[in-house]
Order: sequence, then structure tokens, then C-alpha cells
Amino acid sequence: MSLGHYLLLGAALFIIGLFGALTRRNVIGILMSIELMFNAANINLAACNSYLHPAGVAGMTLAVFVITVAAAEVVVGLALVLAVYRNSATAYVEDFSLLKG
Amino acid sequence: MLQHVYLIPLIPLAASLLILLGAKEDPRSPMPFLGIAATGWCLLQSIAIFYGAATGALSLPYAADWSWFTFGATAGGKPFLYDMPVGVLIDGSAAVMLVVVTLVSFLVQVYSLSYMRGDPRFKRYYAYLSFFTASMLGLVVSSNLLVTFCCWELVGFSSYILIGFWFERPEPPYAAKKAFITTKLGDLGLYLALLLIFCQVGSFQIPQIREYVARGFMPAAAATAIGLGILCGAAGKSAQFPLFIWLPDAMEGPTPVSALIHAATMVAAGIYLVAKCYFIFAVSPVAMETVAWTGAITALLAATMAVVSYDIKRVLAFSTVSQLGFMMCALGSWGFSAGLFHLTTHAAFKALLFLCAGSVIHAVHTNDMRQMGNLDKKMPITFFATLAGTFAIAGIPGFSGFFSKDMILEKVFEHDHESPWPMTVPLFVLMALAAFSGWLLDRGEFFTRLVHFDALPGLAPAHEAAHAPAYLTWYVTAAVFFAIYLAYRLYGGSNFREAESIKRRCAPVFNLLERRYYLDEFFLALVGLSDQAARLAFWIDSEVVDRFFVDGWGLLMLALARLCHLFDDSIIDRSVDATGGLSVSLGGTLRWIVRRGLVQEYLLWSAAVMSVLTLLTLPAQRYCLGASVGLGLLAILTLLLVRRPR
Repeated sequence: MSLGHYLLLGAALFIIGLFGALTRRNVIGILMSIELMFNAANINLAACNSYLHPAGVAGMTLAVFVITVAAAEVVVGLALVLAVYRNSATAYVEDFSLLKG
Repeated sequence: MLQHVYLIPLIPLAASLLILLGAKEDPRSPMPFLGIAATGWCLLQSIAIFYGAATGALSLPYAADWSWFTFGATAGGKPFLYDMPVGVLIDGSAAVMLVVVTLVSFLVQVYSLSYMRGDPRFKRYYAYLSFFTASMLGLVVSSNLLVTFCCWELVGFSSYILIGFWFERPEPPYAAKKAFITTKLGDLGLYLALLLIFCQVGSFQIPQIREYVARGFMPAAAATAIGLGILCGAAGKSAQFPLFIWLPDAMEGPTPVSALIHAATMVAAGIYLVAKCYFIFAVSPVAMETVAWTGAITALLAATMAVVSYDIKRVLAFSTVSQLGFMMCALGSWGFSAGLFHLTTHAAFKALLFLCAGSVIHAVHTNDMRQMGNLDKKMPITFFATLAGTFAIAGIPGFSGFFSKDMILEKVFEHDHESPWPMTVPLFVLMALAAFSGWLLDRGEFFTRLVHFDALPGLAPAHEAAHAPAYLTWYVTAAVFFAIYLAYRLYGGSNFREAESIKRRCAPVFNLLERRYYLDEFFLALVGLSDQAARLAFWIDSEVVDRFFVDGWGLLMLALARLCHLFDDSIIDRSVDATGGLSVSLGGTLRWIVRRGLVQEYLLWSAAVMSVLTLLTLPAQRYCLGASVGLGLLAILTLLLVRRPR
């Protein structure tokens, strides 16, 4: 197991998440895809920390913070989705065009 | 004593300014005595210098220089600082002139105490007199020709303000203007001569110019040009042909001023200047000849014009012109001492005659000699003084004058009482001088020893030693007595019948003389001609130069400016506007492309741009490249997916 494998795993996860975020029509699905991309970044952080700088904890610490921020983001995102859903009775992003200029 | 000689012009100047600025106009003002005292001090100094020079206690010439101003100049391509000096130069002729000027000025000022009493501008009159004296003294003592020229112009200005002193009447301002402008005509030549001197010699200092000439550096042509220029100035100032037209009109000033102008200051300046620059004339026979002929013509013309004049002051004026002509003639004939000697004696007797005339006019209130008569009983002092002056000017043996001219003055006065003492005392002094100065100065050739022209080495005139034969003196004297007899016969009676009949018979001649040889008309025609020329020049200036060149240039510039405006407006501004418009339309187009409000499409654009940027910036390592290419392919794929119709 080398660093490359971990990075490939992270990249695969990220691309899957990105693909999901771009293609899912349901807002909940998009949020879940974003969580995937967060976790791909977390894998990269942890792997780089343990392979490139084994004595330090900076990468791990940053990963912990990212997890926290992700949780907060999900809270805010779900709250927004709930508010929009109550307004327009749909969960499809094509119908969300309130901010269209 | 000589080291303070520079104070001689400065003290009357200071007195003049003090009188002019320091006192109010008041008939009983003591300020005139300040002017008299200043001139008196100068008179004492001048007499002391003259006495010292005469006894040999003082060695003349005395010269002293001070630095005046410096300016940058180049000579032969090398820059240097030129130091212009200002200084005094006292030689024999200057010593004599100092005495003449200060004496006449002093006596005139004393005389004026009475003559000008009650004049509304009494104080100012004295300020002007002092200023006049100061200018003339400056001219006499200066060794720098530039300063001399300044003083020369100040003399002209002083005569202007004094001739036009009674400016309420119409004639004096006219006469003053005439005098000023006529002399300016001559000053033009003098100015050019000065420029030429500086070009040639590189100095205005008379001793240096003299040295330059003495060493033979001065080319004859340059000397001729300079000499003629100086003569031109002198002809204006000293009333020589053809510029003497101002002097008879200058009679409009107060009579003491006429005495001052005629005897000591104004007209003497020209003669003195020629004498001062005599060494230049000495190397130019042409200039010398011209001086002599100018003098001779002037003397003859003025004498003939005097014969037909009835105004007592005008007769005296013509007499002055004539005598000045004699002086010029003497100078032009190598008679340096003779010319200046005559200047000195003439100053005495002409001042005397003018003060006498003033005394008479003061008493009878007319200038016309035909209305005077039998004054010898009423005004004995004036009568004898006039007689002395007349004998002197006519050249009666024993009196100071030694040239002759027709003088028809005596026994034609009429008056009631003798003038007050300030007017008679100067008459006494001048009478004594007129009668005896010739004797005093001529004894033992004293004057010639004091005032003489040191011939330049190698340039001694050929005919200097040619003496006039002795019988000439007797011929002249006989002619004088005959002329006096003739005048007595013609004008001695009360009805002038014979004179009138002669006048009738020779009417054309009299007319020519009374019109003063039409010189006034000639100059007026000249002025009219130049007036026409000026009008033509003005027309050309306004109609041709202004219209075509100045206005045309302006119009050309206007058209050019309009062209620039058009270019600016239609090309520069338009291109600026077009740049802005392009940005606006580009932005509008982009906005139209992405404005559908699909959040996933925005995300797609971001991802695509990010992937391209990543591709560009990251090091080209294989897996990163592969990942990026994959990302881009994914993005394109996603685009296709998203664009599918729902």
C-alpha cells in the first residue's frame, strides 16, 4: 500500500461525488455527493499526513475539522432544502430558480 | 580739492530734489536760497580749480574712475566680465566750462529771485534750474561718454521743462516740444556715434578712446562716421544748420532761462562735446571740414535772419545761433582754443544781454523793439550793461568779443524805473566780465596755455600755424563800425522810414529771411511726409499684415483645431465607446448563455474551468495529468448528460 493508492482512492471518491453532484436531480442526493467529496479530501489529508510527515498531527487535525464543518454544512443545507421544499413542494433542482438574474 | 570734484554735479542735483520734494509752493519760501547756495558752492569749487590750474598748483588733466556695473561679454569667443567704469575727467577746457556754467547759473538764479517773484511755481522753477545746472555739470566733468550722453539727454529734458515752464499759454509747450524733438533728431546721430565708438574701441572712457586714436588704431572712415554723428548731436543741441529752428522759439521760456540756455548750459553742450571728442575729428579731415562748413553756414543764415527780427529776444537768439556757428567754424578750422575761448566770452556777454533784455521786458512788458526807446535815461545800468554786451558781441576793440555781427539793439529801450538790485547786481558782474574777460584771459595767451588741444603725435594739422594777417583785424573792426553806423542811420530815428523803404524794395529777400529760409516749412513738410508714410505703414499693417497673416494664421489654426476636434470626436471617442460597448455586449452574451438559473450548470462550469486551470498549473506528473484529463472528460460527459432533454 503506497501513498499513490490512497490518493487514487481519494480521487475516485471525489470524482464519484462530483459526478453525483452534477447529475443528481434530487437535492438530497446532491448533498450526499458533496459529503462524498468532503470525505475524499479527508482521505487525502490523513494519507498525506501519515506517509509524508508521520511524526506530525496537522493533517489528522485538519481532517477532524473538515468532518465538523461538513456536519455543520449538512445541517444548514438540510434546513435550506426543507425551507425550499415547503415553499415550492418539490425537491428537484431544475425547479429551484428563485435566484435567477 | 580735485578728489571731491564728483560732488560738483551731485550737489545741485541734491538741492534740486530737496527743493522739488522737500517744500511746499510758497512765494516767500526760502528754498530758492538752497539752490543758490548749492550753485554758489560749486562756483567756489570751480573757481578754486580754475585758479589752481591757472597758477599751476593743480596738474591737469585729472582723472578718476569708479566701478559702475559689470556685465558678461565675449571677445574672440572667450567670455569675460566687462567692468564699466564711471569717472571724472578734468582738463583745461572742463575747468573753464565749470566756471562758466556755475557762474552763469549762479547769476541767473540770483537774477530770477526778482524776475520770477510772485510766480505761482516759484519753488519748482528753482528746482528745475538746479536740475538743469546739475545735468550740465555732469556732462562737463564725466569721463565716460555714456554718462555724458545721459547728462546730455537730461540737459535736453531740463530745457524742455523750462522752455515750457509757462504751460498755461499755448506757445511755450509748443516751443518746448519743438526744442525737444528737434534736438532728439540730432541725438540719434550722437547715439549711433557712441555705439560705433564702443564697437570700435570697446570703451566709453575718453582717455582710453584718446589713447586708441593716438596710436593710430582708428580707421579714418570710422572716425569720419563717428565725427559726423557727434556733429549731428551737437548740431541739434548747439542749434547748428539745419537744426537751429528750435532756438528762436525757445524764447517762450522765462528770460533768465533763455540766458542760461544760451550762455552756459544747453547750447554750450554741443560745442563742448565736439571739443571733448576733438581728437576723433583730428584724424578725419572730412568730419573737420563738415564742422567748419556747418558753422559757417549757420553763422551766415542766423545773422541775416536776425536783421529782419523785431522781437528783442529773437534777435538775441539769432545772435546766439550765429555765434555758435562761429564757434563751430573755429573748431572745424583747428581753432580749438579759439572756439572754446569764444564760448567762454560769449557766455559772459550773452548772459549779460539776455539779463538786460529780461530787465527791459520786465519793465516795459513788450518784446517788440520798435516800441522801445530812450531807455538810457530811465534805466542807466541796464543801458550801459547792454552797451557793453553789444560792444563785446560786435567785437569792438577792447571788449571781449572778437567776432562781428550786425547788432541793432542799442538806444531802443523805453522804461520808467530801474530794476531792483537782484536784477542789477548780476548785470554789473556780467558787464565787468563782458568788458574785461577778454583782456584778462587773452593776456599772455593765458587761455591758450590752459585750454589747448594736444596734437596727436604724427597727426598734427598742416595748417595749424597759419596765422591770419594783422590787417584782417582792422578790416573787421572797420566793418563793425560801418555796420553800427548803418544800423544807427536806419533805426536811430523814431519812424524807421528808411528801413521801411529798404524793406519794400527788397521784399522777396525780407520775406525769405522772415520766414527763416522756409526751414520750418521744410521740417513740417518732412513731418507731414513721414506722417503719410506712417499712415501707409499703418494701412499695410492693419489691412495686409493683420488681415492676411495674423488673421489668416488664426483661421488656419481654427480649421486645424476643428479637424482635431472631428478626429477626437469621431475616432478616439468612438473607439473608447466601442470598447465599452464591446464589453457590454460580450457580458450580455455570456449572461444569456448561463442565465438559465440551473445550479448544477453553474457547478459544471466551475468544475470545467477548475479542471482546465489545474491542467495548466500543476506539474505535469503522470497521474495528475491523467486525473485531470479524466476530470475534463467527465465534465464533458456531464455536460452532455445535463443537456439531455427532460
